[in-house]
Amino acid sequence: MPTQTTNSLLNALAHDASSEPAWLRDFRAEHQKLFDETGIPTQRHEAFKYTNFRPLHEQAFQPAAAVEITEADLKPYLIGDDDLRLVFVNGHFSDTLSRLPRVPDALLIEPLGRIIHSTEPIATKLGAVVEPSPFGALNAATFREGLYVHAAKALTSDRPLHVLFVTTGGHAIASRLLMSCGEATDLRLIESHIGLGDAPRFVTHTSEFILARSAKLRHVRLLRETDASWHVAQTAAKLDRDASYTHQGVALGARVARHEITALLNGEGAHATLQGLTMAAGTQHVDHHITVDHLRPHCTSNQLFRSVADDRSHATFTGKVIVRPGAIGTDAKQQNNNLLLSDDAKVDTRPQLEIYADDVKCSHGATSGQLDANALFFLRSRGLDVKQARGVLTYAFANDLVEHIGIEPARHHMQQVMHQKFHGLLGE
Amino acid sequence: MTQPLLQITDLHVSIGETEIIHGLSLTVNAGEVHAIMGTNGSGKSTLTKAIAGHPDYTITSGDILLNGRSILADEPEDRARAGIFLAFQYPVEIPGVSNMYFLRTALNAQRKAHGKPEVSGADFLTMVKEKARLMDIDSGLLNRSINEGFSGGEKKRNEILQLAVLEPAMAILDETDSGLDIDALKTVADGVNALRGPSRGFLLVTHYQRLLNHIQPDVVHVLLDGRIVKSGGKELALELEEKGYSWLEQAL
Repeated sequence: MPTQTTNSLLNALAHDASSEPAWLRDFRAEHQKLFDETGIPTQRHEAFKYTNFRPLHEQAFQPAAAVEITEADLKPYLIGDDDLRLVFVNGHFSDTLSRLPRVPDALLIEPLGRIIHSTEPIATKLGAVVEPSPFGALNAATFREGLYVHAAKALTSDRPLHVLFVTTGGHAIASRLLMSCGEATDLRLIESHIGLGDAPRFVTHTSEFILARSAKLRHVRLLRETDASWHVAQTAAKLDRDASYTHQGVALGARVARHEITALLNGEGAHATLQGLTMAAGTQHVDHHITVDHLRPHCTSNQLFRSVADDRSHATFTGKVIVRPGAIGTDAKQQNNNLLLSDDAKVDTRPQLEIYADDVKCSHGATSGQLDANALFFLRSRGLDVKQARGVLTYAFANDLVEHIGIEPARHHMQQVMHQKFHGLLGE
Repeated sequence: MTQPLLQITDLHVSIGETEIIHGLSLTVNAGEVHAIMGTNGSGKSTLTKAIAGHPDYTITSGDILLNGRSILADEPEDRARAGIFLAFQYPVEIPGVSNMYFLRTALNAQRKAHGKPEVSGADFLTMVKEKARLMDIDSGLLNRSINEGFSGGEKKRNEILQLAVLEPAMAILDETDSGLDIDALKTVADGVNALRGPSRGFLLVTHYQRLLNHIQPDVVHVLLDGRIVKSGGKELALELEEKGYSWLEQAL
């Protein structure tokens, strides 16, 4: 039963769709119905067994309002030149903070709120990829604004597009990103979720990626919300033949973060790399829920998720690989490594394989452990104190993922962030 | 009489409930190179780890003095800052941290402890490249993660490079010769010889005599069953090579 304040959350999210086209109103109504069947999920739902949303019912949120922030507020989160960036503040598109100079004609970048009234065929794309889940349905029913990106055939660019979703506190926000990559395109996208201010907030966000034949997308996702943020997100990619999707996430913050990532390998020879690094501390809770669906033959996938859990934090990983009937020649790897830095920190890991085809190669592995005692002693024997030695080893565990971030400016930026995080341990 | 650099008296060391070192005494003066030889399981590695302060090794009685001061209460990092250096028999691999960063962090941690200014990145680079050249160590190793994918010889050379950078008063080498081909052995020995000096002491732990063909020790000790059973000059090493350890074991 929804309580008074759940109603406050849902009321804050409620979206007036009366001026929207009929197809979108239908789309929203359908998802509202889906959401109403479950409401905010409880831990009795198998897929949500590790994440407790009950405290959410005790908090009140305001409807998302556009709040003025300055370039200086954004500065720590800008990456490289960042001359191609789209900024949303509390889900509202900010013209003043965004930079969109001369982009090729083959690249269409528009806020969703504008594109839905245009002739661009997005009705068939919106919601076409993301799997139905309670929060996914909630997002579809209530998203206020978002971004649409379409790259026409054969467009390639190594200049990353940076989309920043900034929250300022106090609101319930539903945002969305839809990117459609045409045949043989090769693009890079950085998606940042940034929390400013101290007030509690709730964010539901959905990112969908449609990759046509031989399209290649490198996607870096940075979660830098606050200790008072509820962040519930879906990322879903659907890949046609020979397409390649690389997702590299770094989750540094949120009080509770739930991230569902889905890759649908829907064309022969498609490839997905999904990587994630979680750095959890304090009482943070970070829940990753991954599904890689091998629907066609000869697709490959590679998952590598790592968590560092300090203090009383909790990191969870559920990773499912499904190999559908007929998906012969599948090669799927899955690895989850967890580092516990405190006796009160907790990790849960659930690697799962569902295989319905022969002639496939699937591997999975999970480890959870503490810092290596011999390595600690080695570093201390060279004069590093315990704090430094632990920092160096933790950095090493995390940096293994950061140094492989496939978008150069994002890699450089995150390496600097990591250096700051482990300040004084590694020199300049 | 000057104060000994390292003085170990009646040392007893246990791992868990098991005592490994049963009353060992040893004095190393500045400028001396001592070799400790012994069979597998005689307690050689235990002794080196106990001196360096490994938390798994408990000193139940006896004392270890460095420049006249007991270091038993010191943490491993304090011992390192006081001048103890242990070259590991099995150097640890740490993927994700470059050797260069690590070396500079270690050097600066020690300098800071002594109230000295930290070395800048540029100065450190010049210094470490020069040391690497002197030690005949490929400076390519500096940009790689600590010992990751290093050959056995590269790992041991890397330990010697750390020794050269940190310039400890008392260097302890735990079976640095094990698993090395003759060229690597010579590089390691040349490095140690280059670092010998009037203010530095060395304790070389080795199973075989061959390292001592390249590094001339001042004193050779034989460690058997957790005790030093015989000490002598470098000729003792040759005698051990010829006769093995059994004649000493019988004398126990």
